[in-house]
Amino acid sequence: MPFESKSEAGYTIVSIDETRLDASISELFRVYLFDQIDNGSNNLVVDLSLVRFMDSSGLGALVAALKKMGGEGKLKLAGAQPAVLDLFNLTSMDKLFTIIPSVAEAIEEK
Amino acid sequence: MDILIVEDARDQRMILTVVLKKQGHRVFEASDGYEAIRVLESHPTIRIVISDWMMPNMNGIELCEAIRKSHIGYYVYFILLTGKSDREAVVEGINRGADDFINKPVDFAELNARLNAGIRIIELKTALENKIETIEKDLECAAETQARILSEPAKIQQVDFNWYFKPSRYLGGDMFGYQALDGETLSFYQLDVAGHGIPSALFSFSLNNILREDGSGSVIKESFNEPPFYRIRKPDEVLVSLNEQFQAKPEAMLYFTMAYGVINSSTGSVIISQAGHPPPLWLKSNARCVETISSGGVPIGMMPGMSYENTTIQLQPGDRLFLYSDGVTECENQAGEMFGEQRLESLLGSTFDSSIEAMISRVEQEIVSWTGADVFEDDITYLVLEWQP
Repeated sequence: MPFESKSEAGYTIVSIDETRLDASISELFRVYLFDQIDNGSNNLVVDLSLVRFMDSSGLGALVAALKKMGGEGKLKLAGAQPAVLDLFNLTSMDKLFTIIPSVAEAIEEK
Repeated sequence: MDILIVEDARDQRMILTVVLKKQGHRVFEASDGYEAIRVLESHPTIRIVISDWMMPNMNGIELCEAIRKSHIGYYVYFILLTGKSDREAVVEGINRGADDFINKPVDFAELNARLNAGIRIIELKTALENKIETIEKDLECAAETQARILSEPAKIQQVDFNWYFKPSRYLGGDMFGYQALDGETLSFYQLDVAGHGIPSALFSFSLNNILREDGSGSVIKESFNEPPFYRIRKPDEVLVSLNEQFQAKPEAMLYFTMAYGVINSSTGSVIISQAGHPPPLWLKSNARCVETISSGGVPIGMMPGMSYENTTIQLQPGDRLFLYSDGVTECENQAGEMFGEQRLESLLGSTFDSSIEAMISRVEQEIVSWTGADVFEDDITYLVLEWQP
């Protein structure tokens, strides 16, 4: 499983141990995020620092999780690399997510 | 069933042949691995090979490996005959591609049972292949339907439209279109449904319908009972209305990115709005430069209540707009490097003296030579329009 999660300061931090978040793993990733939410995590931080490329299916998985939470709780994206940030800018993801440089800052920020 | 027996001992080979023929099989014979390969090549109906392990020239295991490595387009079920009854030999044989074993001397009831097991597997595979063939035929039909609903290259009023469209597999999730909304206004769009294959293609078909002027909805045109009886909706309104209509479910994120514009064919004024789509490129014929029309926008279907921005530009005669899906810029070369926006822009910057057709095939050639393949990972679409009053 290329995903891991740990709890820290009231957040569930999900990290992706892959350089590409694309169609080959996005469905797995979505299911993993849904499991976290079903298990009661409602303050999620997704650590994207290893991801060099994300496609529309990866983006879809993140938004699916946000939709599933339905406004209850928070989903922050941390550590996005330049190509992933470009995708977030193109698709105005800052309107949907809190996008933060690193996991540490995501946790500090209340 | 057509069976090949490979055995260097002539008497043993004959006994097996007689027994199998009695059971109604068609039997071929070979005395070593090399001969076996020749027989297999000239008789593509053979689906089962029963081979001795120890043979001169090429032994049974080597034969098995040669078959697995060859480019035969069907599965050959491989049974090894062996005097070796130790576990390690069995494990090695299976690891190197054998399907089953029979110990020598051969017990014919056992041989029969093991053959039947092999035949079951071959029949399952054949049934599966037939089903796949049916599905592929359906997909080809659907791809033809998709090709038919695409707009033809055309000159409408003062605007030339042309395009390139290549789905990654049979069916694409990309779509585009253009049409006259009245005597001086044309609409055009290009969209990309996330993912590809059947669900994305079906969705793109229905979007294509909704975005037609004669479509049942009024997504692009609002009608009234009094003169002038209609109002052409601004691009941002169209995107907002699509976004409210097509919210994706969390379990199946069928969303899409889109660039939608309207052009006034007498003045050359263009209003364009985007929902997470790669920014259209504006090819300015006088300045001979390529400008990006960027403005973000959340893809359609992700979240309700989104708003979108209109960008207005004024074309000069001979100016072109280039709308494309991310399959163009994200296609990779052998080293995994993407084609990218820079490369696309500088390529387009060198096409000011080309006709639209020549420009479209230039871009295609560059992408094909970049990827080194003519089958792409993602759908590739681009739509070009030129204002020539």
